[in-house]
Amino acid sequence: MSLQGKRILIAKPGLDGHDVGAKIITLALRDHGADVIYTGIRKSPDYIARTAVDEDVDAVGLSVLSGSHQEMLVATLDQMKAMDAADIKVFIGGTIPPDDHAALVAAGAAGIFTSEMNLEDTIARLEVALA
Amino acid sequence: MPTQKEDEKGIKTPSGIEVPVVVSPDMLDGRTLGKPGEVPFTRGIFPDGFRGRMWTIRQYSGFGSAEESNQRYRFLLDKGQTGLSVALDLPTQCGYDPDDPMATAEAGKVGVSLSNLAEMEILFSDIDLAAISTSFTINGAAAMIFAMYVAAADKAGIPRASLTGTIQNDILKEYVARGTWIFPVKPSMRLIADSILFANKETPRFNPISIAGAHVRDAGCTAVEEIGYTLVNGLAYVDELLRRGGEVDSFAKRLSFFFYVHMDLFEEASKFRAARRIWARIMSERYGAKDPRSLLFRFGVVCGGSSLTAAQPLNNIVRVGIENLAAVLGGAQSIFTCAYDEAFQIPTEQSAEIAVRTQQIIAHESGVANTVDPLGGSYYVEYLTDRMEEKILAVMNEIDDYGGVIKAIEEGYIQMRLAQRAKERKEKVDSGERVVVGVNRYSHEGEEAQFGEVFRLDPGNRRRILEKYQATRDRRDNDAAQAALRRLGIAALTDDENLMPLLIDCCHQYVTVGEMVAELKSHWGEFREPALIG
Amino acid sequence: MTRQELLDRRALARQLSLAGRASVADVLSEADSNFKTEKPAVRIGVTGPPGAGKSTLIARLAASRLQHGERVGVLAIDPTSPLSQGSILGDRIRMDEIADDPNLYIRSMPSRHAHDGMADNITGMLAVLESHNFDNIFLETVGIGQADYSVRTLVDTVILVVVPESGDTVQAMKAGVMEMADVYVVNKADRPGAKRTVTDIQSVLALKENNPGGWRPRVLQTSSEDGDVLLLDQAITDHLNWRRDNVDLLAHRRDQARYNVEMLLNRRVGELLADAEPAQLDRPISDIYADLVGRL
Repeated sequence: MSLQGKRILIAKPGLDGHDVGAKIITLALRDHGADVIYTGIRKSPDYIARTAVDEDVDAVGLSVLSGSHQEMLVATLDQMKAMDAADIKVFIGGTIPPDDHAALVAAGAAGIFTSEMNLEDTIARLEVALA
Repeated sequence: MPTQKEDEKGIKTPSGIEVPVVVSPDMLDGRTLGKPGEVPFTRGIFPDGFRGRMWTIRQYSGFGSAEESNQRYRFLLDKGQTGLSVALDLPTQCGYDPDDPMATAEAGKVGVSLSNLAEMEILFSDIDLAAISTSFTINGAAAMIFAMYVAAADKAGIPRASLTGTIQNDILKEYVARGTWIFPVKPSMRLIADSILFANKETPRFNPISIAGAHVRDAGCTAVEEIGYTLVNGLAYVDELLRRGGEVDSFAKRLSFFFYVHMDLFEEASKFRAARRIWARIMSERYGAKDPRSLLFRFGVVCGGSSLTAAQPLNNIVRVGIENLAAVLGGAQSIFTCAYDEAFQIPTEQSAEIAVRTQQIIAHESGVANTVDPLGGSYYVEYLTDRMEEKILAVMNEIDDYGGVIKAIEEGYIQMRLAQRAKERKEKVDSGERVVVGVNRYSHEGEEAQFGEVFRLDPGNRRRILEKYQATRDRRDNDAAQAALRRLGIAALTDDENLMPLLIDCCHQYVTVGEMVAELKSHWGEFREPALIG
Repeated sequence: MTRQELLDRRALARQLSLAGRASVADVLSEADSNFKTEKPAVRIGVTGPPGAGKSTLIARLAASRLQHGERVGVLAIDPTSPLSQGSILGDRIRMDEIADDPNLYIRSMPSRHAHDGMADNITGMLAVLESHNFDNIFLETVGIGQADYSVRTLVDTVILVVVPESGDTVQAMKAGVMEMADVYVVNKADRPGAKRTVTDIQSVLALKENNPGGWRPRVLQTSSEDGDVLLLDQAITDHLNWRRDNVDLLAHRRDQARYNVEMLLNRRVGELLADAEPAQLDRPISDIYADLVGRL
């Protein structure tokens, strides 16, 4: 399996400037055949949703290390719904305590990736989710 | 456990330096080490090391409202901490007030919200500013927060000259790793020069900049690159200060540095020994510094960060202990030890206390602080120090060859290098080439990271921050505030008027950080992130 | 943006994906049917080496058009990695300053199988964009090497962007790429060496000046000053006017047809070669060739 032909938006919502994880995953996705757009830091949920729509991506990956993962996910999903793009899968990654996972899934996260996860596992899970 | 096979293929430090099975005296360059407190300062900047003065235990803390942070500070001072460190929330660091749409989700989240002088007054209530040393981790909006601290001292009747502490104020690494930039590079460099030149005159005991390699290190680069990138940034500030008419011997003694310490004990200790002599040489040979204090490479460190793991978190206590030891052996002036749960959450009081105790055990039980540079003359450490020096100089030359650090940052060159390094490091951990106990070796199958107490923010916090913010704005003399802001804007249009006095005026009038930043943005614009990856 | 505008954008984005992904067979079966254009857009191609500032310059050119209420579409192409077949599409974030404008649409595409600075089915994607009534379409090429010549046949005006440091490259490029553009821009002109680069370009262009009635390419310098973009805009307008009076549109359309067929043939050959059993490639070249032509 590969991610060839999949379009993926990696986005940094909010003010959190820790972008290493986002950049690592961008490089890893590219190395597995995906076409990746990385937004850079400090983007609003509205910007992220519009970019996802304009670029017709298959998935959005939000990277949040500031503890605001729940707020940022919900705000992004709300914007996507408003743009009739609820079908685009939204994943979330970063520093996310295990206790918060259930709430993120309930809010609509298509998957959760933490920084300690193996990159190959992360890619493999995405390949299944986007197949 | 090293296997026969690993021995055959050779072992390297994380920076890629060949580690001999045993180092013999003939592998050393044979240069003179010098004495501690003397050029080239390989063995330390003080002749009596920690016997004269113990390092400062400086924990990074602060969360939620100014009231809660004030309480936590008084708790830490009670526990014997000797300096305060203020963590600011992201909106304050990026120059947004708590009511800004960009800020609402993050006000008070990873640090204290310090939007105006009223909050600063609460933060330090019942704490004598003349008796403590305070460190602020802020960069993009550093000049505003420094101005606010001076204004708070003014209001409390404390002489400016008695203020001690440090403001990070290092914008160049923000463009590369930490991301709290606001303005483009050029006006940012001007603000930094303004604050340093102001501090030299008005607050001579306050360190107006802490040039930091910690964040690029934690983001993925090696110890060699950490020192190399940081030294080139430091030299860029020196050049800017000279351009603004500063005298090297008046500002150089107030420059200080800040690094991460990771797990390779001897490489970490050696990097500081190498950095000290490179800095002393450049300050004296390239810049003609005459005052011996201008040559001193003073630095603080943080132990922990990305070397900590969420799996088997109690192991982190041991890691921080080893890193703490490396920092002491390297001759650090101040040390921040991460709490073992810090990889995952704001530390609890229990984990924060263990972090402080770790430093106290090393300081008072281990005996390592009893003599200066106990590693000096060790064949391995001197060999490593020499190799580190060579490799650090090579990194610095690479940036020079690219066209200087400012060009390399504006074009995203260093950022791209860092992303590639971070990916390499991740792949080495994933593959097991780099051992991380509890993660890729000796981990329990199917183990979920277990956490004890997890600190939770009070959900009413954000609402209270907003209410207080609004109340202060309602209460202030708005005409005076607007007038101060206008004067700031006019001065910003000049090339070299020092903006610090105008920022302090603004703070006295309860002008907010967001207002000061917006005014300057309207003249200077914003930095555009190159976001170049690979 | 109204709800309908949002829905239109979603539709446009999906049509572009379909057009971009279409196989040769898909293209042929769909050709000549969809995407009728009411009014052709002005098409501006922007090429030049990576790091020259193509995207930022497009953003500035687009900004002035957006201010006049015009609709602007941007198709920005980034290189596909030959190793992984993946790509990092980094152009659009350099246009963030104008990203909020509802009259702007930016789409990033990987070059995939195209080796001429374009992307697969570029013609089809341009047709989709044009059917959505854009006044202007900017086409940003990959910008690696001299192969970006194809943009010439797809747009009305070609801008070649270089930076002062490109001086040596300009010398090396001589005729080839240097003759393809209508407007030459030395960007980041506040850096040392800008004037020399301008002179270098002018001296290369002087080689072909004995062309009475022909378009005399402009060479401009741009920095972050607003006035520079006004001059660039004027040069583009001048070229478009000259073109309207002097270019044989029928010949231009024939060039486009030639390009389209050639690209489809290239891709079809690529598809057939990719599908070929390894053993088939052990035969003499003439047999492989004949077999391939037979299956085309």
